[in-house]
Amino acid sequence: MKRNKLKRYILIYLASAVLLTVFIGPFLWLVSSSLQMENQLFRVPPVWFPNPVSLESYREIFMGAIYDESYASTIGKSSSSYQARIYLRSFLNSLIIALSVSFFSVLFGAYAAYPIARMDFKGKYFLLFSILAVRLVPALALAIPIVLFAKKMGMNDSLITLIFINMSFVLPYVIWLLQAYFKTIPSEIEDAGRIDGCSRFQVVNKIIIPLSLPGLVTTGILAFLLSWGEFLFALLITESEGSFTSTVVAAMFATMVGDISYVTIIAAGVLSVIPPVLFALFFQKYIMSGLLSGAVKN
Amino acid sequence: MHVLKNKEISHGKLALIFSTPALFVLTVTVLIPIIYAVYLSLFRYKLKRAKKPFVGLQNYEKILTDEKFWDSLTTSLIFAVSVVGIIITVSFFLALLLDQDFPGRGWLRALLLIPWAIPDVVNALLWKWLLHPAFGVMNALFSMGGMIDEYVAWLSSMPSAMIWVVIAYSWKNIPLATLLILAGLQTVSKSLHEAAMVEGASAWQRTLNITLPLLKPTLTVVLIFETIFALKVFDLIYVLTSGGPGRSTSVLGWSIYINTFKKLDFGSGSALAMILGLITLFIAIIFYSFLDRGERQ
Repeated sequence: MKRNKLKRYILIYLASAVLLTVFIGPFLWLVSSSLQMENQLFRVPPVWFPNPVSLESYREIFMGAIYDESYASTIGKSSSSYQARIYLRSFLNSLIIALSVSFFSVLFGAYAAYPIARMDFKGKYFLLFSILAVRLVPALALAIPIVLFAKKMGMNDSLITLIFINMSFVLPYVIWLLQAYFKTIPSEIEDAGRIDGCSRFQVVNKIIIPLSLPGLVTTGILAFLLSWGEFLFALLITESEGSFTSTVVAAMFATMVGDISYVTIIAAGVLSVIPPVLFALFFQKYIMSGLLSGAVKN
Repeated sequence: MHVLKNKEISHGKLALIFSTPALFVLTVTVLIPIIYAVYLSLFRYKLKRAKKPFVGLQNYEKILTDEKFWDSLTTSLIFAVSVVGIIITVSFFLALLLDQDFPGRGWLRALLLIPWAIPDVVNALLWKWLLHPAFGVMNALFSMGGMIDEYVAWLSSMPSAMIWVVIAYSWKNIPLATLLILAGLQTVSKSLHEAAMVEGASAWQRTLNITLPLLKPTLTVVLIFETIFALKVFDLIYVLTSGGPGRSTSVLGWSIYINTFKKLDFGSGSALAMILGLITLFIAIIFYSFLDRGERQ
């Protein structure tokens, strides 16, 4: 019996090792590559661990953003690439978009989710179904009219437009998660408030929202993660450095051939991954419960 | 009496008032665009031409008789079927592993969130680097293992380009599917397993005869979502292959993008997008009806 247990553990840890290598290995290699010198990167066979650890790639991105062209001459390079110079700004744009999207989605979503969780009204299930159906619509079908419209109204190349569009696929998700969360709050607490003379609006503001803070935060984080990686609309709507998002610049890095150095491309990739991965690891318990409650109730 | 009546009407109205901001956003960003896209698909709407005449269903007719469309559709279906098959199979076994009780299980689950959190574009960038024809790690590993004699440009020949696109996509999407299936596994009762163990059923028999049937609803839901998402793939193709080599990884999403935003043919692009939407809807309905039937039995 003991022998069997040992055998079982060996099998489990062997499988876990394979799992880790396959699913975390590529990511670690990206990080390791970003810390190498350009010439190490091109070594065959590859250098597995950077030695010495070089921050050159990150320096190009940070200094490039601050000093523009003039920085290039100070380090004796011909020029820091265009993408490296605009990357930091795009990172900031992505942050602004993702934070605004999660704030407004949770705010609007909470008020929309409350009646679904707590009230009976005609068309409730139709509403819930249509909200879910929105997630099935291919973004490309929406992209054509939205881009035409945005250009006509002079609203292309703007962060506000992107925030608005991102909410189209984040909101349904948020409403779905929040209505499930609100149902877990005992309705007695709410009834007590109503007897004390609170209106429905006050009930939401003073009872439901404060009591749901953990759920709201979880949902907000998921909303952040969903909008951080958005690419299609960012690609179609943005036209200049002022509004490019980090995914657009990362795609530019990856698809343009030119004088860009590989380490810089890779470092940009690593930087784009930092916010979502940190969020995912820090809040993993909340995220998992959020993801799962959304799925199980389906 | 009057107050009571007032209250009864007010639920619907209150719901409407509460949902107004959300409904406004969804109307402007989803409902109106869809209607407008249907409308556009009935016109010959090319950005370069001044005249944009109504042509009825001609755009659809043109697409359905165009060989390129059927090629793209086939490519999309091949991609979706491979990806969904791999994701469901691998996730099922990973979930079985993570359902075991062992020290470090929590860490493993947490780390699994990393690929999930990586944006699609960066995932593509990562795989482009791994597959680099001259300095890619895959080339190094395969040649060290003696599987290739010289370095290969994986993404510029077939079928390796399609295979790697499928792998890159699955790599990012397996973790979430695994966690969803894991949640489903935890609803499978342990007592059934114990009873079967007493009867002398092997671990494999138990998985096949107890776990799998009880997991069917979860697996169907994962199947629906993975299929729908796989049919919409775009970001990965854009960065990794741009539909190439030739048109061999040109999935429907990529064709819509090229037709609309490169050839600036908004009418036919909209029609193509509508067709993709209808295919998605059709597949969702088929799966849902299967799920429904399964639950009633």
